[in-house]
Amino acid sequence: MRRIAGIVLAVLLIGGVVAAVVAGRDSEETGTATKTVRMVIGSEKAEFFADPDVVKALAAKGYTVEAETSGSWAMEGLDLEGYDLAFPSSRAPAAELAARYEVRGTLPRPFYSPLVVVARRGAADVLARNRLVTLDGRSRGTLRMAAYLDAAERDRTWQQLEGAEKYGELTGTLSISSTDPESSNSGALYLAAASYVANGGKVVASDAEVERTAPLLRKLVSVQGAQQSSTDAVFRDFVSGAGNPLVLVYESQVAALLDERPDAGDLVVLYPDTTVNSDHTVVPLTGIGEELAGLLGADPRLRELAARHGFRPQGDLAEFAEATADRTAYLKQRLTGVRQAPVPTSTVLRELARRAHG
Amino acid sequence: MRGPRTRRTPAALLAVAALLTACTAAREEGKDPDAPAPGTLRVLASSELSDMAPVLEQVEKDTGVTLRPTYTGTLDAVKMLATGKTDGRYDAVWLSSNDYLRLRPEAAEKVVSETPVMSSPVAIGVKPTVVEGLGWKPAEVTWSQVERAVRDGRLTYGMTDPARSHSGFSTLVSVASALSGAQSALTDADVTKARPRLKEFFRGQKLTSGSSGWLASAYARRGDVDALLNYESVLEGFKNLTVIRPKDGVVTADYPLSSLAATDVATREDVRRVAEALRTDAVQRLITDHTRRRPVVASVPPAAGLDTGRRRELPFPGSRSVADGLLDAYENELRRPSRTVYVLDTSGSMEGERLSRLKTALTNLTGDFRDREEVTLMPFGSRVKSVRTHVVDPADPERGLAAIRRDTGELRAEGETAIYTSLRKAYDRLGADEDAFTSIVLMTDGENTAGAEAADFDAFHRGLSDDRRDIPVFTVLFGDSDRAELEHIAELTGGQLFDGQGSLDGAFEEIRGYQ
Repeated sequence: MRRIAGIVLAVLLIGGVVAAVVAGRDSEETGTATKTVRMVIGSEKAEFFADPDVVKALAAKGYTVEAETSGSWAMEGLDLEGYDLAFPSSRAPAAELAARYEVRGTLPRPFYSPLVVVARRGAADVLARNRLVTLDGRSRGTLRMAAYLDAAERDRTWQQLEGAEKYGELTGTLSISSTDPESSNSGALYLAAASYVANGGKVVASDAEVERTAPLLRKLVSVQGAQQSSTDAVFRDFVSGAGNPLVLVYESQVAALLDERPDAGDLVVLYPDTTVNSDHTVVPLTGIGEELAGLLGADPRLRELAARHGFRPQGDLAEFAEATADRTAYLKQRLTGVRQAPVPTSTVLRELARRAHG
Repeated sequence: MRGPRTRRTPAALLAVAALLTACTAAREEGKDPDAPAPGTLRVLASSELSDMAPVLEQVEKDTGVTLRPTYTGTLDAVKMLATGKTDGRYDAVWLSSNDYLRLRPEAAEKVVSETPVMSSPVAIGVKPTVVEGLGWKPAEVTWSQVERAVRDGRLTYGMTDPARSHSGFSTLVSVASALSGAQSALTDADVTKARPRLKEFFRGQKLTSGSSGWLASAYARRGDVDALLNYESVLEGFKNLTVIRPKDGVVTADYPLSSLAATDVATREDVRRVAEALRTDAVQRLITDHTRRRPVVASVPPAAGLDTGRRRELPFPGSRSVADGLLDAYENELRRPSRTVYVLDTSGSMEGERLSRLKTALTNLTGDFRDREEVTLMPFGSRVKSVRTHVVDPADPERGLAAIRRDTGELRAEGETAIYTSLRKAYDRLGADEDAFTSIVLMTDGENTAGAEAADFDAFHRGLSDDRRDIPVFTVLFGDSDRAELEHIAELTGGQLFDGQGSLDGAFEEIRGYQ
């Protein structure tokens, strides 16, 4: 009983309405029978839910999880009948799903992860030499977004950067590969961050601001050609040695890779100085879904595991710092010097994505 | 700028091919007692994945899920998805790449999740003696060097047909990106600018094929082709090729296993489990060792011998108009045209339904003929009845096509079946020609009953000059024709047998990839 009260209390801090429902349910639960939770999640959380330790921690609480992945914005196109929760990787698509399925109350956001750019050391060194990047250490740095966007605006190529000639693969237009902003969250958040910088450090809201920033966003997307529709896919391409030298992914994906393989060779993680956090947001569709959402935010073991997978649990920096202590060569424990750009409303973001995609 | 006919061509090609595939699939299902079955995934897969059998076996052991692949061209598969033909028929799709799929929103929305499983870049495999003769250092070769060698007449090559095979299409994109000097994703303007160079480049193409398999055997048989353009994994399968990933960029296939919105949750869960199993270290190791593709997990290194030097990734076009425009330019303008003699059985036994099926098939085919193509119709019975040659003139394509349709309409069934005598006439009609892909299509509905015998033809073939002996005969099984007889002709001449029993349209259409 004490345990349950503890959960309820923790959940209360996150979202009162959800907690109330969980509490109501808890009083009816009789114990140990396993409940199966069906959910659709962003691809970047697939490994977390497949981790045997996570499976075990959930089983200890009486849950078996069946997770299916989908692009966050593509979840709208799915029939979610029979699912207990949807777990897209940010607030905007979650809000749309909540409206559609008439889910009321504050949506739980158990953990978040900032967008980062992964590169190989050669590319990072060239960017540093040309003042687009500030390296702190060999495998970690900050990407100066304003300078990068300026270069993109001018169609700068790698060949025009000093020092690039040493690397055969560094040719062509300097660009960051992202996912398709119309179907995938990380691609959309890339536009959110870029538009914020291009709009003079202000979130894009009016038609005039959309109009003004659209050409640059269009450029950022069109140079990429066909885009992948999942963040997992662009990251896999990067790992297998294919794809563009600069790829936008979630910090959590990098952290998970480093957890498997602490020596990631010449990988360099670049934190954009203006970035957007992906707030992994739960849309509970059933009572069981609500229970699970609560558990993810409150259960210490699950929070610890989330941190080990590179997600930053809400509300406590120490957990992430502790879990990633062995990976600080690549990861920033504290996001000091990284500005959080607010995300435009989903209507504006969609319009930006639509125009960027052309 | 181009006429509506030519612009429609790739789509029309795909439509017919998709129909064919659909028919084949339907037939297979009829044979199959357990069409949709729990624990079994019906997977629509790119032909290139047919080398994955041992991997699929392992995955089946690991997950208890059986994968039942149906192989087809990647572009055909996209067309099937777009038109809803996969709904209820397939549980998952596994293509070389979803790049082209993403250009078609109606197809892309059918996919729920995609899991890249392995990767392989486009590469050029060159005979070691040729590499040496050109003074190339394999790690340093660029597309421009390849282009120069072709222009100087020092390099010839074969590749698969971009309209049918993703390896061909990726090759086309790689070459067009590199030779246009495009710094980012290809645009229509880049393609236009690159046309003269591309045209020059494709003059070096001596072999075209609807499949990687036939390309390999034709290459081995010919002996006078210096190189092949294909995925690295395919080229690594050859004993005697130096595999080069051009330094200035490649397009890479990443083989995503994709689940489908039209399937139920349990099915998609099976797909997810299979995808997970495919990414375990053990299976990734099996994949790279067995197929020479590259792993997508950091903990497994690429198989020994795969060079890990980095290459620029050339972006795949981001719009359908660019992709289809490139394909269209290739077919109608850039590649060497094809020159084909259709040796058509119009003996007495073709009377009625058979003849009308032949007429329909040929008439439909006129929607597919490319600009500059030379088509000769050679109907035969007891002897060759007529020889009519038409050229599809880019200035007025409809004139040649109308003439083909008119000749088709006049076909009459009469006489015996003089297969070999007629084939010899076809060879007589075709000289050595450096500037075209030359081939013969033989369609017959019966055994040889008149004129020369098989042995006579074998002797005749032996006596041909080298370059004419390279002309393949693609044979079409139809009606009561003798499979062994047609197989023999195909084998002797380096062609291939196609089954026109179910769909004569389909067989003719499939042969287009080899012309």
